[in-house]
Amino acid sequence: MALRILSKSFLSQRLATPIRHYATKKYTSSHEWIEINKDVATIGITDYAQNALGDVVYVEVPEVGARVEFDETVGVVESVKSTSDIYSPLTGEITAANSDVVKNTKLINRSPEKDGWLFKVKFEDQEEVNALLDEADYKKLTESDH
Amino acid sequence: MSSTKLTKFISPKISQCTLGRSATQLSSLPPIGYIYLGNVSYAKALDMQKQLCRRRIDEIYAGPHHSRIPRETRILADSLILLEHSPVYTNGRRNHGVLSVDEIARLRKLGCDYVETNRGGEITFHGPGQLVAYPNLYLKDHHLGTKCYVKGLEHTIVEACARLGIDADVVDGFPGVWVSHTQKVAALGTHVQKYVTSHGFALNCTTDMKWFNEIVPCGLEGRSATSLANVLAKQVRADVDASVGAVLPTVIDSFKAVFGCDVLPLEEVSPETYATIKQLLE
Repeated sequence: MALRILSKSFLSQRLATPIRHYATKKYTSSHEWIEINKDVATIGITDYAQNALGDVVYVEVPEVGARVEFDETVGVVESVKSTSDIYSPLTGEITAANSDVVKNTKLINRSPEKDGWLFKVKFEDQEEVNALLDEADYKKLTESDH
Repeated sequence: MSSTKLTKFISPKISQCTLGRSATQLSSLPPIGYIYLGNVSYAKALDMQKQLCRRRIDEIYAGPHHSRIPRETRILADSLILLEHSPVYTNGRRNHGVLSVDEIARLRKLGCDYVETNRGGEITFHGPGQLVAYPNLYLKDHHLGTKCYVKGLEHTIVEACARLGIDADVVDGFPGVWVSHTQKVAALGTHVQKYVTSHGFALNCTTDMKWFNEIVPCGLEGRSATSLANVLAKQVRADVDASVGAVLPTVIDSFKAVFGCDVLPLEEVSPETYATIKQLLE
């Protein structure tokens, strides 16, 4: 009898909690965020970065289909008459680029970690992902850094 | 802009201008080495900056996974490169390919060159009588973000003008330094790669304004450029020497006051960086 109760509760537990897939969010010390979903990473600049830049007036994003190496320049963001190069934190192929942000540059300031995403990379090297900062480390960085 | 008053900038007391840095951060800033190169062709200076930045980035980010190495282990230092150019119009990254072939030919016929660059900002003029400054800083060593760095450049010029008895201001949303609602005395445009800066600002000392009449400077319709000499003449102080050579020490002192670090001759701060810049200009 006890065994049946045990196995029944075990079964209902398994049905009640389906396996979900969560996207992982990582960061770089140059204030980019990287949202990993299976083998595709969405990349943008953090709220900290957009605040340090000022109002964005011009954006360049990479071409879809282009192959990028880790740390290669993939775009530009301009604010206060300064162009700041954007670098790819991962090696792989550009699968998407945000054309909305090119037309409406203020998206980066208003929604840097959501609508202001810059590009997506289908990455190849899990080691590169593992080397990125997690949220706790990034928070520590922004508290001590400028 | 017409409805916005000029933001009255109160020239900061040296001790109060922090550009957002804490006291601890301010106490450990690296020195900057200044170097005055006289007249250098724009193309040569641009190439020198590109190569200098490349060398600095390679040195700074030589750690594992391109992480940065501590300042003490590095050889190349920050520099404040000061010079003048022969007449040239330059344009910013966002205007690549925007000017028509005819328009470029027209500008070249005036007797000067036209160069498109990777800096921010729009079209401007460089030429004799204009002090051009190219700070090559690693912003992380100075605990500066882009916005604060640009503010620092603007405040440096405002401070230099103040020391010459000229009331200049910054205007929110319009980078550069203004002596009135419509007249700009200094233009600004920089490029930041991995926190390493290039390009900088251009202060009209005794520049011939005729060159600015041929363009819409910085893409701002209805506004014009002016020079320190013009402003001093209006103040009936045309006897004050506003030449590049005379203004140079004031700009260097103002840079030091605003950025809060030592600004000394580059040969003293870093003979290696001095030699590198000289060699890149050969």
